[in-house]
Amino acid sequence: MATTPLAESSAASGWQRRLANLIQPIVLLLPSGLWLTLLLVAPTLLILELSLIPGFRLGQPAGSYGLGNYLEVFQPVYLQVIGRSLGFAVGTTIVCLLLGFPVAYWIAIKAPKHWRNLLLVGFVLPLWTSSLLRAYAWITILRPSGLLNTVLELFGLPGQSWLNRSPAVLIGLTYSFLPYMVLILYASLEKLDRRLLEAAADLGATPQQSFWKITVPQTLPGIAAGGLLVFIASLGDFVVPELLGGASSMTVSRLIYNQFLGATRNWGLGSSFSMLLILAVSIAIALLLKYGDRSAARS
Amino acid sequence: MPPTNPRKFSRLSPSPRFSVARRRFLQTSAAAVSGIVLSNCARNLSNNTAPSAETSPTADGTTATDSKTLHVFSWANYTDDELLKNFKDQTGISVVVDTFDSNETMLAKMQAGGGRAYSIIFPSDYMVEQMIELNMLMPLDRSRLKGIDGLMPKWQNPVYDANNAHSVPAVWGTTGLIFDPQRVQEKVRGWDYVWNNVDSLSRRLTMINDVREVFGATLQYLGYSLNSTKPAEIEEAYNKLLEIKPAIAAFMTNGWEDQLASGDLQISMAYSQDAIVLMEESPNLQYIVPESGSSLWTDTMVIPKSAPNPDAAYEWINFMLEPENSAKLVERLKFATPNEAAFNRLSPEVKNNENLFPPQAILDKCEGIAPVPQDIADLYDRFWTQLTST
Repeated sequence: MATTPLAESSAASGWQRRLANLIQPIVLLLPSGLWLTLLLVAPTLLILELSLIPGFRLGQPAGSYGLGNYLEVFQPVYLQVIGRSLGFAVGTTIVCLLLGFPVAYWIAIKAPKHWRNLLLVGFVLPLWTSSLLRAYAWITILRPSGLLNTVLELFGLPGQSWLNRSPAVLIGLTYSFLPYMVLILYASLEKLDRRLLEAAADLGATPQQSFWKITVPQTLPGIAAGGLLVFIASLGDFVVPELLGGASSMTVSRLIYNQFLGATRNWGLGSSFSMLLILAVSIAIALLLKYGDRSAARS
Repeated sequence: MPPTNPRKFSRLSPSPRFSVARRRFLQTSAAAVSGIVLSNCARNLSNNTAPSAETSPTADGTTATDSKTLHVFSWANYTDDELLKNFKDQTGISVVVDTFDSNETMLAKMQAGGGRAYSIIFPSDYMVEQMIELNMLMPLDRSRLKGIDGLMPKWQNPVYDANNAHSVPAVWGTTGLIFDPQRVQEKVRGWDYVWNNVDSLSRRLTMINDVREVFGATLQYLGYSLNSTKPAEIEEAYNKLLEIKPAIAAFMTNGWEDQLASGDLQISMAYSQDAIVLMEESPNLQYIVPESGSSLWTDTMVIPKSAPNPDAAYEWINFMLEPENSAKLVERLKFATPNEAAFNRLSPEVKNNENLFPPQAILDKCEGIAPVPQDIADLYDRFWTQLTST
């Protein structure tokens, strides 16, 4: 008998706790949930629907559903465009890694401690200006009578004509996304366990051995994350290829723009390209989640 | 089709009109989420021919609801501060001008419902025809238009809009080649030069970023009509264009100006309007209409059915038609006016500028771009995508 009130009160508080447990996540997740649903899920579904209507054009009667748009994607000329986009993205990722790793390594490990933040800020500084401006800056540098050729001429070297060709796109993309790579690699290198390096040195490992057997494996998650970020960003970038790529470097993002707002409007085809781009990026992320984590766990 | 300033990406910058688009977008998305519209969304979009003919724009909360503001959607360089000031002094209506750089961009925006604030738009000839077909334009009340009889006879009854029932011609021009005579190998008379000098031009030629202009010029070069609807001729033009692909730096309507003036580019295909603006700064440049002919374009003023302020729109059109205002504007901005009364008031220097007002012999070789049947338009589009993708 004496225990009943106690049991009752605990039952009540248990019910309250359960309610709180229920409400808390809803309140916390509601803003982001709404945001994602309205601005990510719904538009994506809309694009998915458009992509399933062959030849859909704004203002004209829509045809019936079909896979025509996706079949059209497999024309050689479009496959070439997709291949070129992937090439740019992979190329940018590799160049960013090769350029970014030594920089991040130097800032995180070799540079004097009180300088590190300043150096990082210096590296991130270009991100404060609009990507459009930076692309225009590269036009001034790369054009035939531009800065690059003036300098090359000064040293008696042959002039380059990279503007409006693939090299210009690769340069522009690398310049745009290198800071992200450096930031992520820095974060990862900063946490490097130095005691392992000392132990390796004690046990007779050469600097080269300890770099490949200790430093690189420990920063592998950072390399994967940085690489993926650069890959995704450069795969979808529109401004750089549009401004620096010229007439013969069509990429998927430019193609999508042209289908929606350019001279040849075919929203259906543009949507199917968008869906394929989303798919490609999703696969890349899935791969990272699967293999990125495993390598992190191993190290 | 014609001019814009080099702000090619102005649409990327935030501007008041985007808030309208975003609101519309949110509405659509919200409806989509609730599952009511999703299955029909694409169809709704495609049937949305007159964006807001049936709904009152005021109910939609656009920014242009008061009668003392007029929102104008125009190509760049067709208005200036002085014009807007004079208009305000005379009518008490303040004008907000937003610019677009292609007819297609403008149309897409209007169709998506993002252009409800505008009471005046400046579409080109073929786009007027398309917008009439889409039931987007308000028929003009002739009794409210003063001075429309002052138009040159050629523009009294244009092919794209019989008797100017929906549009008032505002600016016209040609499409041609601009270059520095000192930097080219031989005298440039037309497209011959480009096909004969592909090697030396190596990525130093730009062409307008417009399928019909580029194919039209090539078709004329081959001796066909700019408005060819024969698939064999269009394919021939495509193959001909592939030959000069190595010479093309980029397809750009604007943005070539600096590089042409500095010699990084040798030749640019351009609208006469843009060429004339640049030649004011760089008199060493020369503009020609190719001897095989070119397109002759007209940009017009129209009132969309969704116009929140048609009264102010009529005031604007009448103000622009007024010979004195029009002549002064032409003197300042250097464009070709179809308004005879205004033309007569121009200074001899402007009147005799053959780039602005080409002699009849050249005009005879020019054709206006006319809409083509949908299957032919698709064919043009397919070849254009292939040309720009390879």
